[in-house]
Amino acid sequence: MTFTFSEYIKDKALTIILNILCMFFLAFYLLALGNEAGSVALILLVWGLLLAAAMIAGYLGRKRYFDRLMETAESLEQRYLIAEVMEKPVSIQDRQFYTLLRMANKSMMERITSIQHERRDYKDYIEQWVHEIKTPISAIKLICENNRSDATRKVLSELESTERYVEQALFYARSENVEKDYLIKEVPLSQCVHAAIAQNKRILLSNQMSIQTEGLEQTVYTDSKWLEFILDQVLINAVQYRREDDPSLRIWAEDVQNGVRLCVEDNGIGIDASDLPRVFDKGFTGQNGRSGKKSTGIGLYLCRRLADKLGLELSLMSKRGEFTRVVLCFPKGTFVKVDK
Amino acid sequence: MPKLMLVEDDPSIREELALLLRNNRYDVVIPSSFYRVADFVKQEKPDLILLDINLPGKDGFQMCTEIRSFSSVPIIFVTSRATDMDELSSITLGGDDFITKPYNSSILLARIAALLKRAYPDSFADHGLTYRGLDLNVAAGTVSYQGKSVELTKNELKILHYLFLHHGTIVSRADIIEYLWDNEMFVDDNTLSVNVTRIRRKLESIGMGDLISTKRGQGYMI
Repeated sequence: MTFTFSEYIKDKALTIILNILCMFFLAFYLLALGNEAGSVALILLVWGLLLAAAMIAGYLGRKRYFDRLMETAESLEQRYLIAEVMEKPVSIQDRQFYTLLRMANKSMMERITSIQHERRDYKDYIEQWVHEIKTPISAIKLICENNRSDATRKVLSELESTERYVEQALFYARSENVEKDYLIKEVPLSQCVHAAIAQNKRILLSNQMSIQTEGLEQTVYTDSKWLEFILDQVLINAVQYRREDDPSLRIWAEDVQNGVRLCVEDNGIGIDASDLPRVFDKGFTGQNGRSGKKSTGIGLYLCRRLADKLGLELSLMSKRGEFTRVVLCFPKGTFVKVDK
Repeated sequence: MPKLMLVEDDPSIREELALLLRNNRYDVVIPSSFYRVADFVKQEKPDLILLDINLPGKDGFQMCTEIRSFSSVPIIFVTSRATDMDELSSITLGGDDFITKPYNSSILLARIAALLKRAYPDSFADHGLTYRGLDLNVAAGTVSYQGKSVELTKNELKILHYLFLHHGTIVSRADIIEYLWDNEMFVDDNTLSVNVTRIRRKLESIGMGDLISTKRGQGYMI
């Protein structure tokens, strides 16, 4: 809000009206005492000039004061901290507002801190829960491995889904966080792709998905766990939206001008062109979600968030009834690679 | 038989993992108390240690430091707490490998085998397998019988290897396919049939045509 002179004058209207009234009465009184109209006019003129000067000086002083405050506030990253950095004002009214501002600030800070604490506690709890649930999952897996039959094979297949949901919760909690929880290393693409396939082995097998991999000898700089999570979600989408006869998946990598491109293409039911721009939106399920296939609208949303954090470019192209291709672009590192 | 030591606080995982390892021809020893693990290592002299990080009383990192003070036995950390800090600490404290729960059992077995081979190149090397006079040379990718030998493709070698490892029991087609997938060969049901037919033909050419029998509806057996 700008601090204009006319606004200031409006604010001071009462003082000015009072002055004018006084001037009027004084002139009346002086004239009644038999003074000359000329000298009365002179007194009134001097008074008026003094009043105007006082108003202008007052306005300029206040304007400079508030302009400086605004400037300080704007230079702060957290604007709400202005009460902490501003000087204690001189005038009694300003001091009242100053005290109020500090009070409001303090209570807000307390609230923010307590909410931050709650959020961190909750995130810690989710992470801990995820780690704890992994122990019984491991136990179930081992029991099934030791007692192989068709029934345990089905249990293992369900367990793969369970694991994926658990991982999703963990990565959701992590993606909310501003901290960087990842470790960038040089990893061979084949390692991550094969790990993601191994994690979904039974689901892929029981749905007769055939898989081809090509050219995955390249290495990229990324966090392998995050990449595996993204691939995991992409693979399971391919299974969920597969075609009925002869579903297949092709995974390959190729060099492009400024990096390496990892492509995962299925021959599934595809995505409507009208749905394509929104597939990475949170909670978006689209035509495929409506037509009876289960969809939460979380998987791809999380993939995009994690990819953004890792500095990867994630894109998706598709043609209804023909294919869906997910492309992950790894930018070439600017680091110089040192030979060991 | 390589001797593995298992330090794990969850009783059901401990039992099942021990069973899995024993089924895969490892000798497994388990310390009775987590407080005297170092003494147990001195006494049992295992070839490899699987060490959990979250343990009551003393954590896996401390144990690792203790063991490292007198022994250079290979140690694999197994944990559900998969943070980057843990992975880093495990390496700096002298761990040889780091696996997170819930692990894929075939990946765990592969890591154990790889680490054993690296640590004891002479003792536990894969010298190949022999069954009913038939030699399977995994390194060369050949199978030979009475002086005659025939080359196998990667798929065929793995299928035969799996059958050799489980000779005398019926091996289901699903098990073979899963085993191949674990070894990064993504074959489907039809490819498996084709591969088995080829193996039979190759075995026939060296005079062992009747080795693999088909159990209808159950799988294969040698």
